[in-house]
Amino acid sequence: MPSVHYYCPCLSTSPVPPPPDLESSSYSFHELHTLYFCTEPECMAIRCNRCVSVEVNGYYCPNCLFEVPSASVRAEKNRYGACARNCFQCPSCRNTLVIVASDPPEGSLSASVAAVGITGEPPYFLYCNFCRWDSTEVGITFEKATGLAGQLQKTEETAPDVVEFERLKEHFEPFLRAAPSGGIAHAHSNPITSAASSALSRDISIPGLSKYSALLAGRRGGRNDREKAGTTSKDKEELAEFRSRWETGAGASVAEGEVDWIKHLEDVGEVATIEQRWVGSWTTSMRERDLKPLRIPLHSKKTKRCPQCRHIIIKPEQKSQSVRYKMKLTASNFVPAIAISVPPPVASTKAVDPNAPVTFHAGRTYPFRLAFTNPMYEPTTVTLQVQRAPLLKGRPPFAVSLPSPPFAIAAYAEAWEYEDEDEDMADEDIDALLAGVGSPSGYTQPREVAKPKKPKTVGVLERKANTTVIGGELVIGKEGRGDAKFNLLVTHTYQAEDTAAQEGETEEKSTKTPTSRQAEVKTFSFYIVIDLGVIIPREKEESHRRDSEQMSIS
Amino acid sequence: MNFNQPVIPYNKAEFIETDTGNKVSRRATISGPQNIILGGKTIISSGAIIRGDLRRTGPGHAVVISLGRYCVVGEGCVIRPPYKLYRAGFSYFPMKIENHVHIGAGSVVEAATIGNHVQIGKNCIIGKFVIIKDCARIADNTVLPANTIVPALSLFAGVPGRFVEDLPETTQELVEMQTKQYYQRFQPVESE
Ligand SMILES: [Zn+2]
Ligand SMILES: [Zn+2]
Ligand SMILES: [Zn+2]
Ligand SMILES: [Zn+2]
Repeated sequence: MPSVHYYCPCLSTSPVPPPPDLESSSYSFHELHTLYFCTEPECMAIRCNRCVSVEVNGYYCPNCLFEVPSASVRAEKNRYGACARNCFQCPSCRNTLVIVASDPPEGSLSASVAAVGITGEPPYFLYCNFCRWDSTEVGITFEKATGLAGQLQKTEETAPDVVEFERLKEHFEPFLRAAPSGGIAHAHSNPITSAASSALSRDISIPGLSKYSALLAGRRGGRNDREKAGTTSKDKEELAEFRSRWETGAGASVAEGEVDWIKHLEDVGEVATIEQRWVGSWTTSMRERDLKPLRIPLHSKKTKRCPQCRHIIIKPEQKSQSVRYKMKLTASNFVPAIAISVPPPVASTKAVDPNAPVTFHAGRTYPFRLAFTNPMYEPTTVTLQVQRAPLLKGRPPFAVSLPSPPFAIAAYAEAWEYEDEDEDMADEDIDALLAGVGSPSGYTQPREVAKPKKPKTVGVLERKANTTVIGGELVIGKEGRGDAKFNLLVTHTYQAEDTAAQEGETEEKSTKTPTSRQAEVKTFSFYIVIDLGVIIPREKEESHRRDSEQMSIS
Repeated sequence: MNFNQPVIPYNKAEFIETDTGNKVSRRATISGPQNIILGGKTIISSGAIIRGDLRRTGPGHAVVISLGRYCVVGEGCVIRPPYKLYRAGFSYFPMKIENHVHIGAGSVVEAATIGNHVQIGKNCIIGKFVIIKDCARIADNTVLPANTIVPALSLFAGVPGRFVEDLPETTQELVEMQTKQYYQRFQPVESE
């Protein structure tokens, strides 16, 4: 399938994207609907999910959908960032567990135990209605059917990982409190995450943390050199070395017992899979029947900011299941949507698999079409410029012809009708437009202008409402091979909304020759990568032709 | 725009079109039609089975299954209301599917509610009393066990289905556009 992806320059120091045949190219290009757009005048740029900075707007449990205040997520009682109500996951299959009473009615199907619910007698237990795991297998039962997390907390409190985490937290508490919350990494509102992120960017050695503290303290005091010297030594003294309560290699004794168990093992199903044990932050038993129910981690709604100017790009509504936004600057509202199609060769009669890559033969010319759809309330004018890949050796494998003069796309209209309003530009107009503006580079010169008998393949082909379809041509060299993939610089110029927007036809005319006086003209350029398909090299083509003698493509 | 959005042809004789633009295949099995509401511009494909007859016992008629606007029930799908067992017996519960919901071919749905702009893939099993919130997506071949909750704007996949990732903020507009275009592309051709 031919594709179009849009460039976000965040991975590079250059505004020009890497050539499409480099590995790094695919990491820099994205689908339009995943991109954002910073509208601040000093930015006016595409942003992606990787470069926006993210803040937590609110937490909620993905199962019971209860919103959890940020304060209580950070509070001691909710140390896992997990649901503190009745939500647990099956340790065996990760399905959500349900709480059931001990006396399911006679003759009921086990699959419907869940539906019976909690009307029966205590003790209650957790049950998986997917794999039939239940918490009595690990000796966990409940006296009440509510507040399960609270009831389990007592047993959890003594678990080694919990104890260790508590001790680590105690150890770092004074240090974190002293750290200025705004100063370290303003991308994160939470002082713990900000400290963690600075820690990650530093060379830390876990056992002796003095190096870490010195570095961080040094950075903290950056504003004042004299003070910095003071705090560095002071903090070094304050933050003592952390000693684990658990001996390194304590897991070894556990392992010894398990060696014995494995020796007598008869069914491999009794061993917990790696995936089942993966979530544990501590050495756990290898036996499947020792797996404990898992807390369900909270999800969050996120506010996203421009990494450059810090303006808000995305701000969701507070309510956990609302899909509305207080602020939403997505690229699809500011940048034309570009769709590509490569018509199948005329001779082909077979049904084409829509997911199969399009193939081209060396030494031939193929037409393709690009549809530009304007999302804005202002008409826009678009100019295209193919980025030439740096030539490593010899001739380029292919060349691309696209209309070089600017072309117009009408404004998006709210009450959009699908009737043919015949807004099509007269053919003479297009020809005039194509002929009038000279093509600067030889190889983007539309060939068909010279041969008026053939139907036009390069130029504006169709205009329908806020979509303009243009034709292009792919000319493959005799030695062509590899992917027919190229970068394209798209520049669109439009008038800012404030002036004369309701003048209909006259407005449409004026955009064709953008010389309007009062209106503020804005220009925005961005790169896309177009993947047309795969070139079949000459030598391969010979055998290919022998295989399919009868369906010749002329 | 029929640019790379080709027409999806159907045999004109096969489908019945209602006043509100619903298109229902004559090869679909619609049981208890008096208990089923279709919101308009909704397509019920060939071989689909919708069990409006499975209703709570009692007098009068009741809505068992309601589907909103611009929905598609794919080929061979089964839409069946969920039921609960009691000591005394069992009872069916109504199912509500909102607008712009596409259900892929071969899926079986026994959900309680499915929100707006939800996409369900092919060959999925959506268990009893599952709740799928707005703009969520269920990947092909996913099994959601009974009572699963799928939060808004999240992608679920696997057996059993689990959270994979958050969907983009543009999902609502994207799905709305796709479902509207699908309805427009779904055009009759005269049978030969
Ligand atoms: Zn980026
Ligand atoms: Zn919960
Ligand atoms: Zn399970
Ligand atoms: Zn910005």
